[in-house]
Amino acid sequence: MAQQDFSNKKALLIEDMAEARIMQRKMLTDFGFTSIDIAMKAETAIELLQRNSYDVVLSDYNLGKGKDGQQLLEEVRHSKLIPNTATYLMVTAETSIEMVMGAIEYQPDGYVTKPFSQAVLQRRLSKLLETKQRLLDVNTALDANDLSAAITAATLVMEKYPALIGKCERIIGESLLELKEYEKALELFEGTIKSRKMPWALFGKAKSYFLMGDLGNAERYFRQLMLDNRFFVNAYDWLAKTQLAQGNPEGAQNTLIEAIMKSPKNLLRQMELGRVSLLLKDSMTAEMAYRRAVFLAKNSCYNTSEPYLCHLESLARMSDEGPLQQRQKDNFNSTLKKIHDAFFDDPADKARTYSYEMDVYLAEEDILTAKQIFEVWIGEVKSGATIAPTQEQSSTYLSAFGD
Amino acid sequence: MKKMEISTILASAIHESKNQVGTLLYQLQGLKETIDNKGPNQKKIILIEESLKKLNDEWVEYLYLYRLASDGYELHVDTFLMDEFLDDQVFALQPSATAKDLELSYVCDPSLTGVFDERLMTAVVGTAVYNAFRFAKSKIVINAKKENNFLVISIEDDGNGFNSPEEEHEDIHGEANTGLGLYFAELSATAHTVNDVHGSIKKETSSALGGASLTVYLPQSA
Repeated sequence: MAQQDFSNKKALLIEDMAEARIMQRKMLTDFGFTSIDIAMKAETAIELLQRNSYDVVLSDYNLGKGKDGQQLLEEVRHSKLIPNTATYLMVTAETSIEMVMGAIEYQPDGYVTKPFSQAVLQRRLSKLLETKQRLLDVNTALDANDLSAAITAATLVMEKYPALIGKCERIIGESLLELKEYEKALELFEGTIKSRKMPWALFGKAKSYFLMGDLGNAERYFRQLMLDNRFFVNAYDWLAKTQLAQGNPEGAQNTLIEAIMKSPKNLLRQMELGRVSLLLKDSMTAEMAYRRAVFLAKNSCYNTSEPYLCHLESLARMSDEGPLQQRQKDNFNSTLKKIHDAFFDDPADKARTYSYEMDVYLAEEDILTAKQIFEVWIGEVKSGATIAPTQEQSSTYLSAFGD
Repeated sequence: MKKMEISTILASAIHESKNQVGTLLYQLQGLKETIDNKGPNQKKIILIEESLKKLNDEWVEYLYLYRLASDGYELHVDTFLMDEFLDDQVFALQPSATAKDLELSYVCDPSLTGVFDERLMTAVVGTAVYNAFRFAKSKIVINAKKENNFLVISIEDDGNGFNSPEEEHEDIHGEANTGLGLYFAELSATAHTVNDVHGSIKKETSSALGGASLTVYLPQSA
């Protein structure tokens, strides 16, 4: 193993416990890192990742009250805050490993179990950096979103370094899926499963079937994956997608609820449960899901207006059944305030907000307030700050006003 | 308050204690760097450090044991290059071997791969090697090979071996040995299955070194 030179590398250390943080920082310094940024929680890490680029990220799985290391990883990978060329090492306690390893869609480059000595960390990091070096062409192509080039590069790496065959096959398979070459992807995943029963290969196989429109087989393999390992929550998400495509939203809702019981902190999953529940006109479940999504969105890089607006929408749909209870009204106003504070500049978002407010007040038969909101809305339409109500909305409102 | 199972209480207690050992290890590492690394106290510190590491590894073993026995362990198999896996194990255990003046090495075909749960097998190999430390005269060798759709990992030493009758053996492997290590190795091996074929362990005499040999058989798909 080649000795790595860490002196020109930038490191980000994410650890909430002071003792461990000081120790790990010292270790990194001893390896030769000269640039080490520190974050004590996920939210700070996201800010740092938005501003700077790092070669090495060393993150604890357990990060105290906020997001955990896995959620952080999913977010930064999903929003491409860290390039594929960077190395992400997750520090875990042996007891958290199942949750961590269950997330097959977003995995770190490696794990190291606490407590570890300086020698162990140095060795692990050196090995990972060596692997990254070997995969440099592949990852550079992935970062440039040139998937054909990534496939070509991965094929070459595989020939040169047989030990990297798993990593390369996975990259090739996933690139093929992105390129919509489903048949080829399926063939590759099946080849992998034959020689090594890797969960990602089975996941890839099931996804290939889904994308090819073979929902029966997709369902079968997503279920097999869930049976093999109850922590593969991503399989539940995809099973729910499959069930929706099969015209079975009730099934999809149940699957998502099961997934959320296992892994409640995933914002996109909560959003999906909300969406499916609204389809089913189950505004109670939708409201609960969106309320959690609003909570999770805070400090997240998915912090867009969408969860907030959806939460208002679910409450508005609830009010279709009758006026909101005080507690529900409080929830409505709390989310409404968050929209006013952070997202009240997009014309379409504004129109949606006004319409939900009107629904709620009309359900209470508070015509006066509804009218006031309507006037503000129309006033803003004239100044171009928002978009006009649809014809259907206008006629509903006007008939409610009794005009 | 809801009444808890005693096993759950013990497992949580072990977990807490293990975390404290982790903290102690970090503190010790800090202390080690402040003192003269040739001084007489360095050796003592290394001994304490190795004992703490062993304690940590044992507690990890007990936690896995608890979960294996209560069906709460979810197997995570992956493919590993055995050369790399065994190199990692030897690397992690080398300081303990050195502290005991024992030679620790491994032998395997550089292209050999195996499918298994890395964490469990790390704990099993660690447990077996710690055990061998107590009986080996000069060396311990870890072997890996593939045999009839089984990955075979054996930990051999040049001590007196398992020759003695079972009771005596328990006695030799004594110093309050409860046989938990072997039980753990067995549960871990059995947890590995391929098409209803389970893994297993075997206690033997090492043909190469003359001492004890603990062999773990892990089924592989054809």
